[in-house]
Amino acid sequence: MSITTVETWVEPPLRKFVEEARTVLALLLHPSGQVVAQFGFVRAVDVMSACALAAAIHASAGELGKQLEGKAFRGLHHPGRERQLYLAEAATQRGNFIFLTVFDQESSLGLVRLYFDEFCKNLAAAAPAEARRAEPVIEESFEGELNRNLAALFGRG
Amino acid sequence: MSLVNYATREITCKIVYYGPGRSGKTTNLHYIYGQVPDERKGKMVSLATQTDRTLFFDFLPLDLGTISGFTTKFQLYTVPGQVYYQTTRKLVLQGADGVVFVADSQARQLDENIESFQDLHANLAEQGIDARAVPLVIQYNKQDLPRDLVLTPAELNDALNFRGVPEFGADALHGPGVFETLRSISELVLKRLSTPVR
Repeated sequence: MSITTVETWVEPPLRKFVEEARTVLALLLHPSGQVVAQFGFVRAVDVMSACALAAAIHASAGELGKQLEGKAFRGLHHPGRERQLYLAEAATQRGNFIFLTVFDQESSLGLVRLYFDEFCKNLAAAAPAEARRAEPVIEESFEGELNRNLAALFGRG
Repeated sequence: MSLVNYATREITCKIVYYGPGRSGKTTNLHYIYGQVPDERKGKMVSLATQTDRTLFFDFLPLDLGTISGFTTKFQLYTVPGQVYYQTTRKLVLQGADGVVFVADSQARQLDENIESFQDLHANLAEQGIDARAVPLVIQYNKQDLPRDLVLTPAELNDALNFRGVPEFGADALHGPGVFETLRSISELVLKRLSTPVR
């Protein structure tokens, strides 16, 4: 099973969820649409598109909930013909995350919901306190590399 | 915030193209999409109306290549420009690492530009973000139109660029200025990652 994560503390809870709920795809992302962890996607760029759409669905459902009920909707289920989608929010001390998972006949909504609740608890327990970056990530003289990369990207290299 | 994955050595940054309706935000992304080879871009996602006006956002993921040993990815978003999509703009703006403000250079659109620019600042403030601290680049699009219809970059600077941020004249439909704008916002965003955090 191939799970990739931006932050290592996410992996054990996600692995447990995917194994137990038997889902085919799983994504954990920031509300801004940036991926934190993924399981089942092939291309990195497809993960990004899925994250952007999941963040948008979650944000708009939340706003709709606020307007209809004065409170954001926190979970969403879309039943497809062969695959189903479940989208919900997981709260941790590192902030709230959005979780998207896709499942087929191997699983069920009940099973996914059951293990999602457990996943939320495990994720909250695993989340370390926010680490503030103090050191620079990239070199001060990155402009040359950036310019070369962009020129190549636009066929100007 | 830019997302840094030290394990896989990846950086992901979110850039939002903001501006009034029909100023050319989506056109910028379309031009970039058309220029970049397939293996360096993802699918361009457009949530648009039947008349191709942006309803929620356009989204284009780009792989910028390696910078200081980090695979650097940019996520380009546009917001819907029409005034009544205020809520959507706020949602898309969430977590932006940098903003490109695409202004429409036509003289008759000046008020719309100013209103949208104020809207940007208000939405940033509402999210607790100091607008002066956000990497920002202004693009004066449609500079290819007849001279009597458009304001010059200098005239537009007087109205909009009180922060003195990098600005570029552009013709996003045909390309001039699009690359320069992207290069400039990329540089400003990455500069934040090249300095220590106090």
